[in-house]
Amino acid sequence: MTNAITWSRVKSPWVIHFNSGACNGCDIEIVSLLTPKYDVERFGVKLSPSPRHADVLLVTGGVTKQCEERLKRIYDQMPEPKFVVAIGACACSGGVFAGCYNVVGGVDKVIPVTAYIPGCPPRPEALLDGVVKLLNALSPPKPKKKSKQPQLPKEEIKPEVAKQETIPPIEIKPTVME
Amino acid sequence: MSKRNNVDIISVIESKVKSDIIVQPGQLGTAEIVTSNGSYRDVIKAMAEADEKTAISAISGLDLGQNLGLLYHFRTSNAFITVRAEVPKENPKIATIVDLIPGATFHELEVADLFGVVFEGNNLSGHFVLPENWPENVYPLRKDVKANEVKLNPTKNEAKSVEDNKVVKIIIGPQHPALLEPEKFAISVEGEIVTKVEPRIGYVHRGIEKASETRSYVQDVYLIERICGICNAIHGANFVEAVEKILKTDVPPRAKYLRTITLELNRLHSHLLTLGHACLEIGYDTMFQYFWRDREPIMDLIELTSGNRVYSSIMTIGGVRRDLKETDIPKIKSTLADLRTKIPFYKHTYETNASIKLRMKNVGVLSREDALKLSVVGPVARGSGVDIDVRKDEPYEAYGEIPFKEIIYTEGDTWARMNVRMDEVEESIKIIEYALDHLPSGPYRVKAPRIVPAGEAVNRVEAPRGELFVYVKSNGTANPERVKVRTPTYANIPAFLKTAIGENLADVPPNFVSLDPCFSCTDR
Repeated sequence: MTNAITWSRVKSPWVIHFNSGACNGCDIEIVSLLTPKYDVERFGVKLSPSPRHADVLLVTGGVTKQCEERLKRIYDQMPEPKFVVAIGACACSGGVFAGCYNVVGGVDKVIPVTAYIPGCPPRPEALLDGVVKLLNALSPPKPKKKSKQPQLPKEEIKPEVAKQETIPPIEIKPTVME
Repeated sequence: MSKRNNVDIISVIESKVKSDIIVQPGQLGTAEIVTSNGSYRDVIKAMAEADEKTAISAISGLDLGQNLGLLYHFRTSNAFITVRAEVPKENPKIATIVDLIPGATFHELEVADLFGVVFEGNNLSGHFVLPENWPENVYPLRKDVKANEVKLNPTKNEAKSVEDNKVVKIIIGPQHPALLEPEKFAISVEGEIVTKVEPRIGYVHRGIEKASETRSYVQDVYLIERICGICNAIHGANFVEAVEKILKTDVPPRAKYLRTITLELNRLHSHLLTLGHACLEIGYDTMFQYFWRDREPIMDLIELTSGNRVYSSIMTIGGVRRDLKETDIPKIKSTLADLRTKIPFYKHTYETNASIKLRMKNVGVLSREDALKLSVVGPVARGSGVDIDVRKDEPYEAYGEIPFKEIIYTEGDTWARMNVRMDEVEESIKIIEYALDHLPSGPYRVKAPRIVPAGEAVNRVEAPRGELFVYVKSNGTANPERVKVRTPTYANIPAFLKTAIGENLADVPPNFVSLDPCFSCTDR
């Protein structure tokens, strides 16, 4: 049963997009992903309208103070297991807006992040690569061919590969503004 | 195209308001008018009476030490006037101008939020840009406030208002499938009819204006480009033009043409994006995919000419950072020719498709009078028959030398606004082709000093969404003292509030998208 759930999750991850203070650069590239040239739906990825139906949260932009509470709330509303992908330099570390008075910093200051996709903005190919890597990390290892009946993995596989790919958040000292 | 008004606005002001004003021609636009003893209201009244196209562009707040400065920037048919007033910091109270210029409401609200100026007579209050739990009496853009040390108040529970039985309040946002960006609109409906719209922006407010004061001019170009990821090139161009005005740098002609090409490529992709987005909002997904499919070749062209798909970052003080290769010109021309062959199909669809006609025609009608009164800009104004286009009114870069049409529709509905953009796509293709054919030879940049002498300048350009305004003040150091950006969507919010009321709730999304809203621009 667990296997069936993992299989369906990998074959059709529903994503939700939240802009927590981005400049629209990354957001428009995410929409580009859905359109004919890149067409992320061939991997079964679907944009979900509600956080309650979503498996993966795509966050763009450094988190503004006004959005902080809302981002937490959306994360809490998502069903387990949930994955967060930080898209763009600002979501990874605060980027060019690190140290601004209304910006908290990267997404990992507010909620745990599974994967980081850097870039300003990351190219759609980079986003595709990130999504596929996350999906590979979720999928169970292929059953051995020795026995006729394939042995199903009992435990749910956690995205360990994604952790290896994780880029440590860059520490940027906030610029002192007067 | 209607004739431009020939009123000499400065002599009108001088004849009507005699005392308490000093007129400085050539400063901050066509002229700067320094007022005292409350005469700014007389000046604004005189302008509004003399010219129906008098509209507010922006209000810039300034911290002058003892006093707070207020710069009211107005555009008229043929001039750009800045009216200067001052209020003491201890008691920053000034009378509103909303009764004279109704479009000034949100401009005043922003200055009130960021500088703490109290506009007596403006009924709106509360935070508009800053977070809800921002402490009271802390105004981030004042020089003596260390804004990034501010501690927010603990979050208050949102007060539940007691509702009338008939009226239902529907909250759209900050996270909503129809919105790409986090903004909140509280829409009151009676049955299906919208009776009231309360906007709440500021979810994407990053404080770019304050941040630009701590970075050098060259760093600021890239910071200010990141106000918006869609129309980024125009933000960069606007800022460098303002700095070049203070520096009195002459940009080489080749750089002007190269900038024009980048700006028009930017406009092309932005307009195609919006034309598609509007179709998505009415549930016409096929057309959305078509528009976005055809937008991709334009993104490839931006990458070809600048090296990056989205952020071209090609503008720099004194010219552009990268020359155009002769060998790339045929590729650009063939891609544009391909796009041109698709426009007749788009126009035909917009004119004949039943769902587009039903959902867009006569939806969100903004009359010419209202458009003038509310000081709206760009395709929203041009869709209502107001002929304003900075590229024509005050040509910058190479626009003065390139022939193109100003697109005006008079219907004022959602359909007209989208068609303005459709026709502008065609004009943009023409502009780029003309610029490529007439590209001057010579250098593409000149060296500009890193230290900018003391001075101030205003500049405005026509972004894809309308007039974009910037005010830059330099104090003779490597960092600017004040940068104020007023983005087109900020000026267009009143149009949405006006047109949504009295219409069906279901018509809100197409009407809203027809303004081409960009909230990362609006909030900064």
